[in-house]
Amino acid sequence: MNKKYITLSSIILFFAFSCSEDFLNKTDPTVLVASTYYQTEKQVEQAVNGVYGQLQGQILNQWQYNEFITDNTTLDFNVGNRGQGPALEAIEFWQINASTPNITGLYNSSYQALANINTTLSKLPGAKFSDEKKQQYEGELKFVRAYYYFHLVQYFGEVIIITEPLAVPAEAFAFEREPVDEVYALVKSDLNTAISFLPVTHTSANLGRATKGAALALLGKVHLTRKEYAEAIGALNQVLPLGYSLLPDYADVFDPQNKNHAESIFDVQFQGDNLLGEHSNFIYTFAPRGAGAIINFPSQNGGGWNTPSKDIIAAYEAGDLRKDVSLQEGYTNKDGVWVAVPFINKYNHPHTVLGATNDNWPVIRYADVMLMLAEAINEQSGPTTEAYGYLNAVRMRANLPPLSGLNKDTFRDAVLTERRIELAFENHRWFDLKRTKNPDELAAFLNAYGVKEKSDPTTSRGGIPFSSADFQFAPYEALFPIPADQRRINSNLTQNEGY
Amino acid sequence: MKHYYHILKRLLLFLTILASANFAYAQSQTVSGTIRSQDDNSPIPGVNVLIKGTTTGTVTDASGFYTISSEEGATLVFSSIGYASQEVPVAGRTIIDLALASDIQSLSEVIIVGYGSQRRADITSAVSVVNMENIGDVPASNVTRLLQGQAPGVQVRQTAGTPGKEMEVTIRGIGSLGAGSAPLYVVDGFPVGTSIGQSLNPSDIASISVLKDAASTAIYGARGSNGVILITTKTAKEGELNLTFDATYGVQNVPDSRRTKMMNGVEFAQFKHDSFVDKIRYFEKREPSIDEVPLEFRYPEQTQYSTDWFEEITNQNASFQNYNVTLSAGKGDIRSLVSIGYLDQQGAIIETGFKRFNVRANVDGKINNFISMGWNIAGSNSHEKYGDTDGRDALIGRALWTDPRYPVYNPDGTFLNYIGGTNGVFGAVNPVQEMHEMDRNINQTNILTNGYLQFTFLKDFKFKSSINATLVNAHLKQFRPSILAGTGFNQPPPREASLYERDHESINIAADQILTYTKRLTDHSFEVMLGYSAQEATEKNLIVTGNQFPDDIVRYAQAAVKRNIGSDSNFPAETSWSLLAYFGRVNYSFKDKYLLSASYRREGSSRFGANNKWGNFPAASVGWRVSEESFIPDYTWLTDLKIRASYGVTGNNNIGNYTSLANMLPSNYIIGNNIANGQRLGRFGNALLGWEQSKQTDVGLDLGLFDNRLIFTAEYYNRVTDDMLLSIDIPVISGFTQTISNIGKVENKGIELALDYRTTVNEFNLRSNFNISFNHNKVLEIRGENDEIWNGGFYSVYNVSKVGRPIGMLYGFRMIGIFNTDQEIAESPTQDGAIPGTYKYFDANGDGVISYDQEDMIEIGNPHPAFNWALTLGADYKLFDLNVLFTGAQNYDIMRNIEATTMNMDGVFNILQSGVNRWRSAENPGDGRGATSSTWKWQRESNSRYIYDASHIWVKNISLGFRFPETTALKNARLFLSAENLFLLTDFPGSNPEINRRGGVNLGVDDEAYPVPRTFSVGANITF
Repeated sequence: MNKKYITLSSIILFFAFSCSEDFLNKTDPTVLVASTYYQTEKQVEQAVNGVYGQLQGQILNQWQYNEFITDNTTLDFNVGNRGQGPALEAIEFWQINASTPNITGLYNSSYQALANINTTLSKLPGAKFSDEKKQQYEGELKFVRAYYYFHLVQYFGEVIIITEPLAVPAEAFAFEREPVDEVYALVKSDLNTAISFLPVTHTSANLGRATKGAALALLGKVHLTRKEYAEAIGALNQVLPLGYSLLPDYADVFDPQNKNHAESIFDVQFQGDNLLGEHSNFIYTFAPRGAGAIINFPSQNGGGWNTPSKDIIAAYEAGDLRKDVSLQEGYTNKDGVWVAVPFINKYNHPHTVLGATNDNWPVIRYADVMLMLAEAINEQSGPTTEAYGYLNAVRMRANLPPLSGLNKDTFRDAVLTERRIELAFENHRWFDLKRTKNPDELAAFLNAYGVKEKSDPTTSRGGIPFSSADFQFAPYEALFPIPADQRRINSNLTQNEGY
Repeated sequence: MKHYYHILKRLLLFLTILASANFAYAQSQTVSGTIRSQDDNSPIPGVNVLIKGTTTGTVTDASGFYTISSEEGATLVFSSIGYASQEVPVAGRTIIDLALASDIQSLSEVIIVGYGSQRRADITSAVSVVNMENIGDVPASNVTRLLQGQAPGVQVRQTAGTPGKEMEVTIRGIGSLGAGSAPLYVVDGFPVGTSIGQSLNPSDIASISVLKDAASTAIYGARGSNGVILITTKTAKEGELNLTFDATYGVQNVPDSRRTKMMNGVEFAQFKHDSFVDKIRYFEKREPSIDEVPLEFRYPEQTQYSTDWFEEITNQNASFQNYNVTLSAGKGDIRSLVSIGYLDQQGAIIETGFKRFNVRANVDGKINNFISMGWNIAGSNSHEKYGDTDGRDALIGRALWTDPRYPVYNPDGTFLNYIGGTNGVFGAVNPVQEMHEMDRNINQTNILTNGYLQFTFLKDFKFKSSINATLVNAHLKQFRPSILAGTGFNQPPPREASLYERDHESINIAADQILTYTKRLTDHSFEVMLGYSAQEATEKNLIVTGNQFPDDIVRYAQAAVKRNIGSDSNFPAETSWSLLAYFGRVNYSFKDKYLLSASYRREGSSRFGANNKWGNFPAASVGWRVSEESFIPDYTWLTDLKIRASYGVTGNNNIGNYTSLANMLPSNYIIGNNIANGQRLGRFGNALLGWEQSKQTDVGLDLGLFDNRLIFTAEYYNRVTDDMLLSIDIPVISGFTQTISNIGKVENKGIELALDYRTTVNEFNLRSNFNISFNHNKVLEIRGENDEIWNGGFYSVYNVSKVGRPIGMLYGFRMIGIFNTDQEIAESPTQDGAIPGTYKYFDANGDGVISYDQEDMIEIGNPHPAFNWALTLGADYKLFDLNVLFTGAQNYDIMRNIEATTMNMDGVFNILQSGVNRWRSAENPGDGRGATSSTWKWQRESNSRYIYDASHIWVKNISLGFRFPETTALKNARLFLSAENLFLLTDFPGSNPEINRRGGVNLGVDDEAYPVPRTFSVGANITF
């Protein structure tokens, strides 16, 4: 009798315990699982698109590090909200330290994008589609990777080089910063791969992807930055026969009705007038804090950031057609009163949906290539006719008289000034200054600007005085600090001198 | 769904097998009798009559009468809750009458434990039972209120006074840095999760057990680490037929003593006036002319309006109503209970409130001698009108800092729709208007149902198969009309109207199969339990948002110009988890003296990495009832003495559902002027992710004296949580800044003491219960030796968890005074931008510079109380009864972060009345508690100025009852008065020293939350 029930119990337990293990396998039904991704052409294409997508986020913030920090722009001072002090304003007033959140943000978003690029690159060999197509994607990914590292090395100096995805988080703690030369070697190698794999043009359905011309122009800039003038000229010269040209009207260069035109070599693409989330909103950041400046939405306030300084406004020569396109010196508010707070006008265009503008961001355009050539040739051989040709072509479009009779030094200054005006508010200024000045010269230059801005601020400060540490630039600040958050968890990370 | 089907199929299989089995019947003679109370000779219904050593038994009927078939030589065991049980040998008799002596806290009382129940005397682990009688007549809208002050080591904090809100329950300290510290709630055997929610009716609760040590919680495996709260709902009492009616009506008010005193209109205008003057005096070193003060502040005494915004948003005498009707039928083999409850609690804040309708029905009983069953279904429907109340930038915070120089209404009776916004004062929405004009509602329907079938076979085996489910459907709607100003600073109306609606549905199903074998021999007693459990929960959410409405009248999505349908990471479109567990437990006692219990659970969870799905959770405990030893003299005063010890391993799986898996997230782009789908990595996968494990040792002593009139319990415990589930910072070169990892170690150790004393003096029955608990929390390891975790922000307090220190210590600058002169500033470590009147901070790293970052921040406060205590005093005199509850916590700090705003002197906010004593000049330095109004810097950063000792004593509840004499029609009629949250004794300046708005490891920060009201109520209990 007993035996029977023991058997019975065993049967019960057997059934009870035999529930299948897949009861415990649950995956998120609302997203794709990474472990099975990157297999088909479509998946890889979407991963590459995702890399470009991250570039949008990068470019929406880049003005802080390339314009705001320089003599080009300042801010529409917000008396009421002083909470921005340690964040954005630290960049404007050169009070950056290793905890400045916006510097941490720059560092983090760059490496987050790189991880995505590295992951996608590592999955390419195993994906199932044609090698030809794989090469194109490899070219695009390496172009964007070079773009990020080129920026990182200019912002931070020595940085960690990572080119493969990590298997487990623990591996991430062992990396060290690599010499600047190593970073540049990677940038050049990536760009050379991109140059060989990327097409000169894309079909209209693929406009916006990186091209051979973009990779060549970026390589030219890399060499120029490294003062490798012959190589710079070599790379940039290869851009010339690819069919780019200056548009006759400077305003057309930024008009979203006219995207991906003959002058644009690489733009970060946005699409406004809808709520699909791929719009830009530069004017909403750059417009003064009072309402009235934003086209189509005159009752909207702007962020009051990246405000053109009195210094750059004064730098425009009389009759320069570019001035009104690039900036406005004030706006009319809803009461019909003129408010003299300047703002960047380059990205202020008609749009139908609040907050969703259609403006692309020009990363590399032909005028930049021409001015780089002028700069490189001058450094290599002095102000030759060819160098004048490039510089004056840009000036002529702006309705300015051609320059002549300059020596190597004054020509260099002329190119720098021309770049400041022609490429105003396109995120070139910080790197242009760093490229043409050593840290001591940079500090002297910026402090001179700081003295001017302090004595005659571009915008009203509502009675709040400058802090004594505002606009004090030390040579070490030519490099940004490695974020404290990263150093805290990786003791291998050294800090830049001075921080 | 197919898994439920599997479970069901298996259940049917058992039924078939069992139904085909033969069962033995015993030979017997009939014994009958009547059981009466020794006290008053009245018959006692519902007494369990059991043949010793068997599971055969019966219960007495309403007249105390029983009959049972028994063998001649058997011994009958008579037991009933509230009475000392007795054993009587049958010895051939056919009639056995008996008088039972009442037992205040009987050792034979059955206590609900995990997957079963145990006699109190047999328990060898740390289990606290909430004595429902001790609670008093509390106006409880949430069941967590019943736990307050009732068990040592169980900290129950009313962090906000929001109607219906669940209180924050922590058992034996914060045991986790990243996976939460809330206990597991188990309702009628069903583990519902780490939140009990708002749907359960407190009146339906029959008993609550709190499992504290690992020996009692390890049977819940991966969810047992933070303790387990077992809630049992009411069932019909055997042999009784009752109709009960309970009603409570109360009024709630926020007492003046718990309100923050802000400047009125005149005072604020004067403050602004002075700040303009002081600025010119300091920066321009001259005496200003009167014209330099803006007109609106120039003559403060002429300020036209003065509004106390907090007063305007509070209700006067907000009502609390609660009604319950219960019908219970306990006669016969099948017993049933039906109850209906209705709660309507208005909020202490206008336009908020909570209403709930509850129904519950259960049946249980015997089908025949070998099958018994029970089914319980409880439904609730609640309606909550809520406000965004908690926080500086939410209602309560805004009511403090909004400019008081404006009226609520325009002269025509409409709302003034923009307050402040001139001369540097932040413009804000009218708080009263916001509460009136917004729609904010949550409707929730909740069904909790469970049922079981139990088969008794052979003599000693029971097989119980149960299935449990909760179904929840909730709808949240929030509409913000265009007429309101924005929620941020300086956003005058009209704004874009916005709508947010969320539909939520969830289903949580568990099935348990439990086999028990119970054997009582003369000296040995065994209970063996084997079980298997499967649980799966799925949640779905749909979010609809709308913007740009043509008017504020039609407040539905179809009217919106911009609409969006989707979900977000907090409310995903669909998410689910599952677990499987095998478990077993052996209880053994020898001569009722030596007790041994061991349990084991092996559990798998869908939440963990592929390589670590399964975890093992063993536990063991021993007990020695010293008082039963023959070498202990038979002192009459010594009723019981038990020493016990336990050790076990428990887990915590309370992380997100898919945290171990790497996923892709959309990252779209524009290619060829069209949207192109793009994907990017969303998370770092971690296939190694596994269980957070707690190892807990517990040593306890139970002492009962004078027939258990005095019961003393002492516990020592040490819980070490290892492999902590923690979101850790990882180098961003991995692609991510954080990942969940098994890393870190925390220790909680402490002592709990409880003393219960009951006595009768003349006609007074006196009861008292005191409990106190000391917990010490220490981080032992976080990713290596010197690591620390920072949460919070520069202007909003950091909570730092650092090795060697307790979790979440408060960090900031140490404020060591106020600079009086420029010379003092020059002689001190550099504070860039400091001027006379700004706070002087301590140069913690000694580098001569107070940098404007975390470098000089140090520990400035400890948010963990040194001890928590509670005292219940009760007395009955003739027909009156009185119950008083005190609770308290001692020696802990709260960062009153709201004062970084309400003592922010730069003139953008209204400030505390005490701000009049701020620093104004070297000659007039004030009380040292307020900075100059001439700058914003060096005053509102996280610093020790805002730290306060929050030690407090609550007179939590006083209840006084009067019982009418019993009549034949009326079994019980009682009226009561009750005062809840009556007095608060504390030096803490905030309204609630139990505030913990940020939760988790962000402890001890006060940025204002819904005020806790004082409630006076009257009520009646009537039983027919």
